[in-house]
Amino acid sequence: MNKVKEKLNVFHITLLIFMTEMNITMFSLPRLIVENIGTNGWIGYLALSVLATFNIFLYWLVYRMGRGASVFQIMECALPKAVMYPVYWALAVFWIFTASFTGKNFFLIFQMLSFQTTNPMFIFLLFCLMVFALLIKNIYNISKTATVFFFMTIWTVGLTVYQFQDWEIVRFSPHLFQLASQGHSFRNWMEVYTTFMGYELCMFLFPHVTKKSKLFQGVFIGHWVITIAQLIVILTAFGYFSFHQIESLLYPIIDLLDFIEMPFINRIENLVFSMFVFANLIVTVMYCFAALTAIKQTCPKVKPNRLEFVIVTMVFFTGYIPKYLGQSEQLLRKVLYTETYIAFIVPVVLICVLLYLKLKGKVPNNES
Amino acid sequence: MHIRPFHGENIHEVLIMGVFQNLRKFFFTQGKSSDQVTAKPEKNEKPALNHILDQFKDCIDFQQRTYPNCSVHIVYLPFLVGPEPLKRDIVDPLSEATEEEAEQIFKRSQYKLTGDAKECVKGILDGQAAIFFRDLTYLVDISEPVGRSISQSETETVISGPHDGFVENLSQNLGVLRKKIKSTHLKTVKFEVGEIAKTDVVLAYIDRIADQDMVEDLKKRIRSIEFDAVMDSNMLIQLIDENPNSVFPQFMTTERPDAIASKLIGGRIVGFVDGSPSAFVCPTNFFDFFSSPDDYYQRWLLGSALRILRFIGFLITISFTAFYVSVTTYHYEMIPHTMLLNLTESRAKVPFPPLIEALLMETTIELLREAGARLPTKVGQTIGIVGGIVIGQAAVQAGFTSNILIISVATSAIASFTIPSYIMSASIRLIRFGLIIMAGVLGNLGLMMCIGLVVIHLSGVTNMGTSYLTPLSPMNFSALLDTFVRGPFWGLRKRPSISDSQNKSTNKMRK
Repeated sequence: MNKVKEKLNVFHITLLIFMTEMNITMFSLPRLIVENIGTNGWIGYLALSVLATFNIFLYWLVYRMGRGASVFQIMECALPKAVMYPVYWALAVFWIFTASFTGKNFFLIFQMLSFQTTNPMFIFLLFCLMVFALLIKNIYNISKTATVFFFMTIWTVGLTVYQFQDWEIVRFSPHLFQLASQGHSFRNWMEVYTTFMGYELCMFLFPHVTKKSKLFQGVFIGHWVITIAQLIVILTAFGYFSFHQIESLLYPIIDLLDFIEMPFINRIENLVFSMFVFANLIVTVMYCFAALTAIKQTCPKVKPNRLEFVIVTMVFFTGYIPKYLGQSEQLLRKVLYTETYIAFIVPVVLICVLLYLKLKGKVPNNES
Repeated sequence: MHIRPFHGENIHEVLIMGVFQNLRKFFFTQGKSSDQVTAKPEKNEKPALNHILDQFKDCIDFQQRTYPNCSVHIVYLPFLVGPEPLKRDIVDPLSEATEEEAEQIFKRSQYKLTGDAKECVKGILDGQAAIFFRDLTYLVDISEPVGRSISQSETETVISGPHDGFVENLSQNLGVLRKKIKSTHLKTVKFEVGEIAKTDVVLAYIDRIADQDMVEDLKKRIRSIEFDAVMDSNMLIQLIDENPNSVFPQFMTTERPDAIASKLIGGRIVGFVDGSPSAFVCPTNFFDFFSSPDDYYQRWLLGSALRILRFIGFLITISFTAFYVSVTTYHYEMIPHTMLLNLTESRAKVPFPPLIEALLMETTIELLREAGARLPTKVGQTIGIVGGIVIGQAAVQAGFTSNILIISVATSAIASFTIPSYIMSASIRLIRFGLIIMAGVLGNLGLMMCIGLVVIHLSGVTNMGTSYLTPLSPMNFSALLDTFVRGPFWGLRKRPSISDSQNKSTNKMRK
């Protein structure tokens, strides 16, 4: 039987990156901005997005210098496998933790809205089944699913029009970056930056694209589309709530949806937040995919679906660690901070390795 | 006393080794076994009268005629042959011919010499007569098609456009197709499917428009079918699809020649099975099942509105009842207070939880539909009316169910019938039950999770190596104009991307 002919193209990469960056921190984003950046924090948010673009640029450099070779190929050209394998395993375990904490956090927030008495691990188990169902498919199918999920969720940005009536420009302060309750620090700005996490997984797409795929065009556009979508929501929240209101709201976006009343439906946040399970699924699956790719590098002869099963099982059991929302938020913040460091360190290390390989004349070539 | 069960080995070690080996087998790939046996082709035997008589032993519908004047033996199946061709090609020329004259007669082109016993048997089964003359065997086609004449399709009716439908006879169907597409580029390939029934299957495609790789792949798949008998094209497509366990149909089937002709021109491949009034089309995507030939016979704005209506129908079918269950079980706060009073009043008398209530009503509707389909038309209508009254009024008055659920279930059922493909409509109605159960267990979240699972499944489904979600994913913007809407003809300049045609632009044939 013929195999599916389609390959990843720029459109699917754009939407895959969009969905991967659409992580759970989005619902608390206006508060994070207010706490950490202060008045008119959306400008700081844009500045951080530019920083993320620079980070993507570093990955582009790796792709160009490595001539399409996968990150594993590059590293193994310079260092022996015995050194690299423990690193892969460590990173894989870390990504499993990230996947699990991101996935579980969503359900703990969901419990605030409904199903307070249901065991969150039961819901998380069902979610893990979904993760497994998607993970056993290849990256093309994951991107196809992400495309459909994108169209199923993007319309929710349009719900912001319902807030226009009560939206006041006067709620935007003329002051810049003032009243940040947490104070300005590298770490606090980084907390806002964590919302962009997900683009770094583009490094695992290198082997699945060709020159025609225009990988980095897709990554850049995807990153800026999610930036604009989130900016619309942030600006709506800034003009709808006062500065201090946002500060006191745990998840301002959920509250924003709470006020929408249609003739046939109220409290639409119940529906929209449930719909976010699609975005949460793609984020979790993409981190699992990163872990899977790293582990597969160390044991390539494993039968299909076995490793996926092990990874999803680990994701499920790791889900037992965060027991309540506060703990989950803390753990999520920790893993996302670490992920931010990894996102910057990996391309820098790879560029150094590639420069070294260039000197030695051993740069791998995977161009097609 | 310490017993060592295996020579020099501890039982624990053996057990651990066993577990380890099983784990290894579970996780890692093993080398391929080389014990595959390839079947040797059988040698062709020369046809002999005794051999043929032996083959058709105990068949009352088998007839042998002898003409001693010219030493000719003829065998055929009388119920398959027509009296006119029999008279023209057998009785008239041979009844008074001498041996020399017979030799001249058999030089005519309709008498085909055969040297293969299998071919001879097959020819007789196809309605040909086998003629044994000296040590030579000839086949002459004296068959007459058995079956109904071209008539309107009962399952796929249209308001505007041609009303003719395919019938069970393969040659008639091919004739209808040839009349629709008068081109030498229309190619047809014949196969025999079914180890016992040997049903004729014909593939048709337009050369230089259809993707040749796809044609070859389909041929290979049909040749590799190992099944006793294939009775219908809906059965054949299940034997050649890539995802046999999927609930969704992967090949579109239709009884409408105009639909088949337009698909062929769009670069698709179609297949006919002898004895089946439905032809199948491939490659097909999920959205093809929502388009009807009607769409193209109406103004494009109207055609588009109808197509959008069908997609709305799909959304209603899949989610309306499930959403009712979700809201009435877990999310009462979502109902505006103006509606809330009516709903609570209506639900107050109902003794069941919404999930059970919805499942009961949905099952009743399905029972009614199935009963209506199995019974003769007139009785079916009566059942529909009686069932409608029982469900519509009596059930509510008896406090068995709420008014709002009746509206929801009825709307879902009506919406499901807007989908032109009966098989797709039935598949969607089936997965709706999954959604209702999940909505009853986890409310809106369960509903979304179930929809997510359906999307994941659909993303993995392929048809002839093309994605089932084309042109949405992989995205093809120009094809979208003929997917969710029916674009104007001046906008439909490209053949569907799913066909992967080398002649991408319509109205042109690049050599």
